[in-house]
Amino acid sequence: MSDTDKKHEMNRRQFLGNMLKTACGVGLVGVGLGIYSNRASSMPAHYIRPPGALPEEDFLGACIRCGLCVRDCPYDILFLGEVGDDVATGTPYFVARSGPCEMCEDIPCIVACPTNALDHGLTDIEESRMGLAVVVDQETCIAFHGLRCEVCFNVCPIRGRAISLNMQHNVRSGKHALFIPVVHSDACTGCGLCERACILEEAAIKVFPTDLAKGELGKHYRLGWKEKEKAGGALVTPDVEHKYNLPEGVRYDLQGEGLIIEGKPEETPFSSNPLDSLNSSFMDNK
Amino acid sequence: MKLTRREFIKSNAVAAAASVAGVTLPTITTAAAAEGDDGIRWDKAACRYCGTGCSVLMGVRDGKVVASQGDPDAPVNKGLQCIKGYFLPKILYGADRLTQPMLRKTNGKYDKNGKFEAVSWDEAFKTMAEKWVAARKAKGAKGVGMFGSGQWTVWEGYAAAKLMKAGFRSNSLDPNARHCMASAVGAFMRAFRIDEPMGCYDDLEHADVFVLWGANMAEMHPILWSRLTDTRLTKKGCEVHVLSTYEHRCFELADNPIIFKPQSDLAIANYIANYIIQTKSYNKDFIGKHVNFNKTTTDIGYGLRPEHPLQKAAKNPNKGKFNKIAFDEFAKLVSEYTVEKASKISGVSKKKLERLAKVYADPKKKVSSYWTMGMNQHTRGVWMNGLVYNIHLLMGKISEPGNSPFSLTGQPSACGTAREVGTFTHRLPADLVVKKDAHCKFAEKVWKLPAGTIPRHNGMSDKAAQSDISGKPMGKTLIHAVAMHRALKDRKMNCFWVMCNNNMQAAANMNEESLPGWRDPANFITVTDPYPTVSAQAADLVLPTSMWIEKEGAYGNAERRTQFWRQQVQGPGESRSDLWQLMEFAKYVKVEDVWPEDLIAKKPEYAGKTLYDVLFENGVVNKFPKQKVTDDRGNEYGNDEMDYFGYYVQKGLFEEYRLFNSVPGIPKKGHEMAEFEVYHKARGLRWPVIDGKETLWRFREGYDPHVEKGSEVQFYGAKDNKANIIFGPYEPAAEMPDKEYNLWLCTGRVLEHWHSGSMTRRVPELYRAVPDAVVFMSKKAAKKRKLRNGSMAKIISRRGEIVCRVDTKGRNKVPDDLVFIPWFDAGRLVNKLTLDATDPLSKETDYKKCAVKIVKA
Amino acid sequence: MNICSLVVHTQPEKGAIVSQRLEKFTGVEVHGGTDVGKLIVTIEDEGEEISPVSDTMNALRDVEGVVSTVLIYHYGGEESMEEMKREVN
Repeated sequence: MSDTDKKHEMNRRQFLGNMLKTACGVGLVGVGLGIYSNRASSMPAHYIRPPGALPEEDFLGACIRCGLCVRDCPYDILFLGEVGDDVATGTPYFVARSGPCEMCEDIPCIVACPTNALDHGLTDIEESRMGLAVVVDQETCIAFHGLRCEVCFNVCPIRGRAISLNMQHNVRSGKHALFIPVVHSDACTGCGLCERACILEEAAIKVFPTDLAKGELGKHYRLGWKEKEKAGGALVTPDVEHKYNLPEGVRYDLQGEGLIIEGKPEETPFSSNPLDSLNSSFMDNK
Repeated sequence: MKLTRREFIKSNAVAAAASVAGVTLPTITTAAAAEGDDGIRWDKAACRYCGTGCSVLMGVRDGKVVASQGDPDAPVNKGLQCIKGYFLPKILYGADRLTQPMLRKTNGKYDKNGKFEAVSWDEAFKTMAEKWVAARKAKGAKGVGMFGSGQWTVWEGYAAAKLMKAGFRSNSLDPNARHCMASAVGAFMRAFRIDEPMGCYDDLEHADVFVLWGANMAEMHPILWSRLTDTRLTKKGCEVHVLSTYEHRCFELADNPIIFKPQSDLAIANYIANYIIQTKSYNKDFIGKHVNFNKTTTDIGYGLRPEHPLQKAAKNPNKGKFNKIAFDEFAKLVSEYTVEKASKISGVSKKKLERLAKVYADPKKKVSSYWTMGMNQHTRGVWMNGLVYNIHLLMGKISEPGNSPFSLTGQPSACGTAREVGTFTHRLPADLVVKKDAHCKFAEKVWKLPAGTIPRHNGMSDKAAQSDISGKPMGKTLIHAVAMHRALKDRKMNCFWVMCNNNMQAAANMNEESLPGWRDPANFITVTDPYPTVSAQAADLVLPTSMWIEKEGAYGNAERRTQFWRQQVQGPGESRSDLWQLMEFAKYVKVEDVWPEDLIAKKPEYAGKTLYDVLFENGVVNKFPKQKVTDDRGNEYGNDEMDYFGYYVQKGLFEEYRLFNSVPGIPKKGHEMAEFEVYHKARGLRWPVIDGKETLWRFREGYDPHVEKGSEVQFYGAKDNKANIIFGPYEPAAEMPDKEYNLWLCTGRVLEHWHSGSMTRRVPELYRAVPDAVVFMSKKAAKKRKLRNGSMAKIISRRGEIVCRVDTKGRNKVPDDLVFIPWFDAGRLVNKLTLDATDPLSKETDYKKCAVKIVKA
Repeated sequence: MNICSLVVHTQPEKGAIVSQRLEKFTGVEVHGGTDVGKLIVTIEDEGEEISPVSDTMNALRDVEGVVSTVLIYHYGGEESMEEMKREVN
């Protein structure tokens, strides 16, 4: 489905909603904040705001539709919403599959923004969070089948941190490894370079607005090993030393591999080739 | 089988009823699911790209490849492929495939400075033959030259060797493997007197330790890397040591990552040998029985033109002689390479060096060493290959599962074609060499030629000068790839045929050594290619080829596996396979055009015949009559060459080549192949194939039938069945960074593109993934030059300059004094920068080391 | 040309025998389901002016062992067999 088709998929209510917001500007957004707080914008999921964009509702209030960010983007990836689009008229966005953010170090779009709708506090492009890349389709992503692709990993500008490869045994072939791409939200900027580069006909990795892309762990729950790592040691009193009844030649490594049966020394006086024994006569030994 | 429309409707009807009733009908569901694959004929082929040799299945419908998959039954790849392999069908269907011969013309006549115009094959070959015959007569054996390929099919390489060596009586034939594998070959011949690895890919599962010496397997041998990774993940105690001059993707898996200064691998390898001797870890029994010790001539120069200051400064330029020494002397020679010294030269910490030395020295650890271009494209590449063999031989860690020094190949048939059928200037089929009169005579017998036809390296047969059509004595005849470009520039060679490679983009020092000769009006350059490459642009005659599965073919991969495929589809337009071109061109040259009278007098029946008659209608090559090509499922396949020439050309050529391995009195054993038909059935066989059985590890009793019972190991390439340990010292690189040109330049490849990119850059998805070449440099080095990630930079060497974007964040992390640029990009020709320094022994270019400076563009 | 498919219910143990009886009719083919008593059946004709398919369908109901028949899918095409043969070849 083309982007144009997707645009038209949105319904009339959302379209009117956007127009209304555009018309009323800041005031209405202020009222709406309670209702909309933290919710996804009504933009299509594949429309991504430029780096440093404030949360959608704030952004819509702050953006004066001047188009300067579009003008100053050296890669010409930014568009302005037009009347009839499913994005507020005159506001900037990009579509990762056709033109992702190239992550300029000097972030000219932010510099150009006269109103702080693109946050001037953002000076390191790697800190931007335009969205989040998600490997949406593990069935078609050829890396999950063991093919050596890794294009998304290779093009990622936050090398090794935003997308890493998780190497696993390929059970089917028995002797190859899988190189599974894993996105890390603490580093991914949502630039979309991976989505553009994905070699499938429809990308298996896509950038979505963060709130659409991210799950949330139950607020009460912590991952034990991560907490321990953070704290630099056990959160409670460390375990005592354990001792075990064990036969000779057997050890027990509690934190490691458990029971260890020390094999007999591997060497024997014999060569593995019986010819060696047959050809060396015992009679020679005095 | 094609599903008719009626059957299709019926199967829909049945499927609908079955789904309502909740009844499972296996046959029906398959038919319904396979709807999109309706009528596709599947058949196996070897992947077109690298030396790994993955097997693929190609799906053809209505004469077009419409589908592909990895071959799940192939032992190498088990259905897996890399990203390039995923797009294999698309390399056939680039929008700009060449479909007609094109000749530079003005006003209807050939003109060096004219514009390309379509011509008939007849006109193309007539024009070419006229030039070739004239050049052969005027300039002798080196007046004409052919630059072939490790991507040729086996029979294409074989036919080319015949056409050049026997037909044109010229050893001016060299493959692009010269840029790729020549150092490996040199070292095999010196150490073992026989070419190609002793181990096989099964070592990847059997080794405990992997050491990568200048190989970025993660990107260049993606499927082998996935096997290596799996072993590292699943085998307890397995470790991976990676040596390189910069950090590449293999470092993601490295337990012992080692970044060494360019050229210092020589010192590291000698240190390891020293460590093994100092700690008395060496396998005394093994070296006593199976090894000779030697030292090689040193200070041998850099394979540059003789007038180059570096050549003049060398004491023994190009000398490869090595002399036998005692073990103690060898021990003394390497004793200089202490860990301190190695660490100082290489910049690697002592700890890391010791960790590496220990795994080699541990008799309980099985070690496999892998290398590719980092070690081969090296001005001391032959030595360096040999130094790694030294380590393995000292320990006896060789020729058995898991213990393997393994030279990986970059091309799909560097082994099968370039090396095995004799497409190097100095070689003949099956490891025979033109240096040996007896070998030449044997080849002449097999080929039914008068004795003395094949030019000897020195132009002497039976101690007498070979006569030549030029009227002068034959003289010295060997000329390697780099020397060919120099000879064109010097007008010593006037005709050059580049086939199945892109040498204008690939050869080093393009501005000074490649372009001048190609564009000299005195010279006539022919390029055969499927696409208008950089080479085609620089040629005078461009011939369109039917590539890969558009012809019946065979490749031999790095583990000695020979794989066949049938012709799956037809090439576009008037394109014809390289094989057809080689054979058809031979029809345009008469024996009298290129052979002197006294030679023809020895076989008067050849008088008045064409080279085609003599070489191919010789009763052997044309022995097998035209037949239908079918698989065991009853599918029929085309064979355009068989249709045209009237006999089973591929079979005839292969069976004639097999005579070099099978007739009584063969000068060298060990290259035995199975019969032609067998390979169409098998997923490749690893030679030597003896009594239908493949050989996994060579030289080891039990695994290799050539090894006599009770001898454990026999390196039977040599008469005394022993391998050579050869000492070679550290010697510096040809061109090192200085105050002005203050950075090392290293060139290479990326996973997504293959070689010069002429195929993969025509796949839109691969192009989108990696569109242009970038210069990988460190943040610090970039900042110093007022550059940052994404800026445009000009890279300048003493020989040329290019402009490309800076990448400080990408896949390759380079030291501050080194930059890396891939060479796939026809828009940014990195070989304008490189130096044509070669290993003086293998004549292989060092593409990994020269000096550049970088400024803001 | 007409092609239709039906589910023909039988007693499970009689599936096999009933399917043999059904296949005696011209243009009738049983594709499976005999072991569960739900036969997957197609009827097709050669494109005659007056289709015999509906007659056959009625006749199947009267075959011994058939409990019921349900029409699932019907395709009625204009093309003659000749045209289709040409297309295939």
